[in-house]
Amino acid sequence: MSFDIMLIVDSIPKMLVGIGLTLHLLLLSTVIGLILAIITLLMRISGRWYLAWPAMTYIYVFRGTPILVQIFIIYYGLPQFDFIRESFAWPVLRAPFGCAVVALSLNAGAYVSEIMRGGVLGVDRGLHEAGKALGLKVHQRFIYITTPIAIRLAIPAYSNDCISMLKATALASTVTLMDMTGVARTIVAQTFAPYEIFIAAAIIYLVLTWVIQRGFGLFERRMSRYVKQ
Amino acid sequence: MSDIVGWLDDYFWGAMVVLRVFGVSLLMAVLFGLIGSAAKLSKSRIAKSIASGYTVVFRGTPELLVLLIFYFGSAVTLTHIAQIVDPEIQFVDIPPFWAGALAIALVVGAYMTETFRGAFLGVDSGQIEAARALGISNFKTFVYVRIPQMWRLALPNFGNHMLSLMKDTALISVIGLEEIVFVAEIATTVTVKPFTMYAIVAVIYLAITTVITLVVSGLEKYSNRHLERAR
Repeated sequence: MSFDIMLIVDSIPKMLVGIGLTLHLLLLSTVIGLILAIITLLMRISGRWYLAWPAMTYIYVFRGTPILVQIFIIYYGLPQFDFIRESFAWPVLRAPFGCAVVALSLNAGAYVSEIMRGGVLGVDRGLHEAGKALGLKVHQRFIYITTPIAIRLAIPAYSNDCISMLKATALASTVTLMDMTGVARTIVAQTFAPYEIFIAAAIIYLVLTWVIQRGFGLFERRMSRYVKQ
Repeated sequence: MSDIVGWLDDYFWGAMVVLRVFGVSLLMAVLFGLIGSAAKLSKSRIAKSIASGYTVVFRGTPELLVLLIFYFGSAVTLTHIAQIVDPEIQFVDIPPFWAGALAIALVVGAYMTETFRGAFLGVDSGQIEAARALGISNFKTFVYVRIPQMWRLALPNFGNHMLSLMKDTALISVIGLEEIVFVAEIATTVTVKPFTMYAIVAVIYLAITTVITLVVSGLEKYSNRHLERAR
């Protein structure tokens, strides 16, 4: 039994082969997730039951099941149906990358829309009334009053969610994708030095987490510049 | 339908395994959370830095990676130790159940450390001063004064951590624990109905997480009953 620190240092560059895919997954699914979240949020706060109910069901299902199971349903499960294999979405759903992006985005959409709802509900009622008194229309109030404040309120939770998303991209390795965890698992299968290789991967994940946290910290400070420190 | 019926008892026993992992790792996670938050709030600088190292590392690493380190790492270590005793032994590992339960408990325990820390800080400091004035020992203050007042504050986040703990149990199928995702894999190879089989897994998880949510909201109502009356 030997613990080889040099092996950790040596394997970090090898691990960086997978970082591109990890970041690609993260970026695509946060952007698509954000769009889904905005649509879901608008449906939920629309006050019309036929819009709010589907949104609530979507959030309930995707927050209540493991991401791993969602990925498996999409990757292994959907090809069971012929109509999906003949549909326009098949080129995306046929590849493991497409499936991982779809699952992660749907998951992010459900979580982020709840975070945004928290932000929107946190906006002071008085500001709405002020907007109304100034004669702003509903959508003007939403865009110019609610949105900027809600964004600031939602940043800490959203930053945590982005970190969870980064961690969730590791699940892509279960459907044969060669992201950082996937690369690490392959190297371990070859060298059988699990501590060194997996710790090297963990170090890279920690650095990425730190970068995300730091980035959102700066963004939050900028969005809060009108608040007296 | 007929495809499913034959597998129902496998799913049932798989779900029992899930609940057992959940119970064991919830207990460990609460323990880690309490120790971690006590260390973070202590005056000792060493305890503080160990606890914050723990939370930074385990909140920033993917659960799957932690699980793989624990399972394969322990296997390598144990095999080496076993070979010292008996060179004939090829491979020793700790059961996936315990490797998995420990790994997810460590991750969720890191989140709980933060939650508990916030909740302990939320307890009025006058209460602790009063306990000190009455000559109650530090340990007894912790058990009888701090914990009964902090759990109410920790409950909403604690509920969320329980949900993520429950969902993390699905990962343990990756290292070969025979729980419901594993059952679905086997069932798929036989019936060639992957969607149906994994959908059952999703439904089981949804049912369990729904029960957890309901229990937590019931507990929240119970713990805040003194506030409702005052309104």
